[in-house]
Amino acid sequence: MARVKAEQQQPNTGMTLIVLVGLAIAFLLFMAFLNVVKSGNLLNETNLLFATLIFYSGAGALYLGFGVTGTELYVKFASLATGLGLLTNTAAIAHRWYESGHVPFSSVYEMLLSFVWTLAVLTLVAEKKYGVKVIGTVTMPVAIVGVVLMQLLRTDVHPLVPALQSTWLHVHVALAMLAYAACALSFALAMMFLIQDNTKTETFLAVTSASTLAIYAGVVLTRFEKWGGLNLVAWNPEQKSEVFLSRGVRLFVTIPDLGWLMTLTLLVVATPLVFYGLARWKNNDSFLTLANRAVFLSILLQVMALVMFLVRARDGLYPSLDADGLFPTSLAASPFILSGLVGGVFISLLYLLLLWRRPDLARLLPSADNLDRITYKTIGLAFPLLTLMIASGAYWANQTWGSYWSWDPKETWAAITWLVYAGYLHMRVTRGWRGRRAAYFAIIGFAVVMFTFFGVTYLLPGLHAYA
Amino acid sequence: MTINLRALGHKTWRTIASIQTGVVLLILVVILSAVGTIVLQRPATEPDEMQNAYSPQVLRILDAVGLTDVFHAWWFLGLLLMVSLCIVAASIDRFPNSWRYFSRPYKYPDEGFRRVSHPQKSLAIADEESGLVAAERALHSLGFRPERVVREDHFGIFAERHRISELAVYIVHASLLLIFFGTVVDGIWGWRGYLSLSEGQTSNIVELRDGTTRTIPFAIRCDGAGQENYKDGTPKKWWSKLAVVEDGRDVQKKEIVVNDPLLYSGVRFYQSSYGPNGKVKLLLVATPSSGSGGRQEIALAVNDTVPLDADTTVRFAEFFPDFAIREGQVYKKSNYMDNPAAHLVVTSKKAGKDFDVWFPALNEVADNSKAPYQFQATDLEMGHYTGLQVSHEPGQWGVWSGVVLIGVGLAFVFYVVHTRFWVVPVSDPKTGKCSLWIGGSANRNRDAFEQRFNHLVALVEEELKPVPRTSRRKQVATLAGN
Repeated sequence: MARVKAEQQQPNTGMTLIVLVGLAIAFLLFMAFLNVVKSGNLLNETNLLFATLIFYSGAGALYLGFGVTGTELYVKFASLATGLGLLTNTAAIAHRWYESGHVPFSSVYEMLLSFVWTLAVLTLVAEKKYGVKVIGTVTMPVAIVGVVLMQLLRTDVHPLVPALQSTWLHVHVALAMLAYAACALSFALAMMFLIQDNTKTETFLAVTSASTLAIYAGVVLTRFEKWGGLNLVAWNPEQKSEVFLSRGVRLFVTIPDLGWLMTLTLLVVATPLVFYGLARWKNNDSFLTLANRAVFLSILLQVMALVMFLVRARDGLYPSLDADGLFPTSLAASPFILSGLVGGVFISLLYLLLLWRRPDLARLLPSADNLDRITYKTIGLAFPLLTLMIASGAYWANQTWGSYWSWDPKETWAAITWLVYAGYLHMRVTRGWRGRRAAYFAIIGFAVVMFTFFGVTYLLPGLHAYA
Repeated sequence: MTINLRALGHKTWRTIASIQTGVVLLILVVILSAVGTIVLQRPATEPDEMQNAYSPQVLRILDAVGLTDVFHAWWFLGLLLMVSLCIVAASIDRFPNSWRYFSRPYKYPDEGFRRVSHPQKSLAIADEESGLVAAERALHSLGFRPERVVREDHFGIFAERHRISELAVYIVHASLLLIFFGTVVDGIWGWRGYLSLSEGQTSNIVELRDGTTRTIPFAIRCDGAGQENYKDGTPKKWWSKLAVVEDGRDVQKKEIVVNDPLLYSGVRFYQSSYGPNGKVKLLLVATPSSGSGGRQEIALAVNDTVPLDADTTVRFAEFFPDFAIREGQVYKKSNYMDNPAAHLVVTSKKAGKDFDVWFPALNEVADNSKAPYQFQATDLEMGHYTGLQVSHEPGQWGVWSGVVLIGVGLAFVFYVVHTRFWVVPVSDPKTGKCSLWIGGSANRNRDAFEQRFNHLVALVEEELKPVPRTSRRKQVATLAGN
């Protein structure tokens, strides 16, 4: 029903979209202009990053617009914007390199810089060489989240600690970024395969709801405080760092009431899943209509939660349970909650795109067979890179710590990633796994990659403390 | 009975060599290693940190099961061994087939094959020979070396490239085993330990991980160690000047830094840590409180006693790198050299008692002015140690050669394609008309291969066209030139 309505509005939606994209870019350009005026220096890293953000956002919006309307013209501008973003991204890397005097691979911020770069390059390659034009709707949001994260994780140029002063650092990290970006691409392709493979829209609904549920469950379970507060890491604005009570123990402040909002959002994002379950159980499709309505509600609440989080975490002083007095916090202190919330909104919006525009998407995408083959090719690229990444890391570790393998969590998770993709290749070659099962495998593989990249650094202790 | 045993053996073999077993084992490895990264591991964690993290009962259970040291538990090693066995078995099981494929290439496609083979194409030709020559030229121009296959009742052309690609996956598996072998060798004959040396000290005793020590057949002397900082105070470089002493002679000298170890007869010495060794020397100027007698400059290490005059001695009693005062008592707060304090005891036979003197002056603990001498601290010299990670890993060469081999193998697996082309002249028994059957196959990347195949067909068609004599001769000349 919603589909029919949306189709009638098609020309209208296209126009609105152009206006929105234009406005958004104009706004960002204006902000950037203010920034330049303030700093009086055009070519500094902040501006370059900002320009990158503008171009990638523009590209993302245009790709999305292409996904919604199918206008070829959008893709042209989208790849132009991606190309321009790539230029400023390259300039930002070069600037960083020049400033620090070493290849910018030594912190999460610096690695994100090249991860986003690789992702943009691969997007263009997939688009130009393989004709997967819609890929940008998935990869560009990832790139945007990456750039936003960078703005928050932005660190001043740090000199290299002794363990990082090695050529192998560059080899190791460059391989890692290439491999991870290839994995991200295979993930996007696998998702598109599932769309082309006539996976039921309600399956995507369930997955969307489950992923957002996982995000909010993670936030609420780890950060909910008594009487509805939300615990966030305290931030020292002068030192631009988290506040530590003692070595390794962070100080948490509690923002009142935000915990209730997160819990409420958690319940609302869970409702589509509940309705989906009911529809499956009772075999009654009217529950699916309810579930789709619940997605709207969940987007509304997610946006509200995000805005409240932004507003309250940006300024204000909050009490802490562990120390007397009031402390500020900052978005930079909780980059993962922020990217989780932004990611949740993105996932839900992508679902909406699918819900409304599925036939058009199916028309625009290459055939399922082709997507399956390209997914395999990207994994065929990612797997040797992963292998070499682990090998160069082992060699470097042997030079630095005197042991090529010490089962440190990052190493172990890299090995797990490698095993997952090895499993994919074996099932494909010996068992003839094609299509949907292979696509699920590619998706799981990317989830493990993301955990290895971010999860391990921030959740598990280990030697890879700097990255 | 024997037959039964053989059947059982066969069944076991099939189970070990099957992909299902491999996948189940890999899933187990994945789950257990994931658990090993979530549960704190004994080798990487301080004991009191473990006790803070888990309640005693939980810790006892975790210890009993081995979850606090997953990666050295016998069941984990056993699992890895099973994985290796599985790889070996699966490779042995599949190898003969691949080997047959590799050693006896399929050169002449029979009719059944020709019917189902994809891609394929038939071109009309005037006679068999001209068709074959055209195909040979086309294959030559693509860089192949076509081979005429002549059997009793049929003939054709066979051309192929990169046959080795069929065996690439065995290269990868073999290199994995080589890596496993290297780590096992290291596990059995290798050792790792720690050696701490103060400047000027010589030692040949390494503390191993398990608390025991190992005596190495040569000694290491530290001729100096130090740290360099960046402007912002973060460390830039740690270095140690090491000398290898064997039979009383210096046989090798090297300044090691992080990332650049010293290697001597299979044992590596890595720069691992650097810091004060707790040995301090206090330089003081002492003046008698009564005013009679001159200034004296003295140097004291901890527990040193120095006479100041006939009746008075001073002893360096205690040193605190980081002190705190609680209820008139001085405590050590930490081992970091943040806030040092020195405690001197001045013993006077004349007064018949001891006087406490503190640096810095701590009035709530003792009154420095009561002592028969007044002291002024001029310098605090600190001794340093350098911490060396020592390791002997005889199996690492297996690991590195495995790593190189796996890179090569994977490159072959993914990027080297075994392509084959067959060309067979076929004459229709009814009409008597001749046609040229062209077929091809590739073991991966089939969509790209189809384009190459079409390109070849186009080239053959081009060659088949009747062309003026001169240009044909030219082509032949270029071919001969090649």
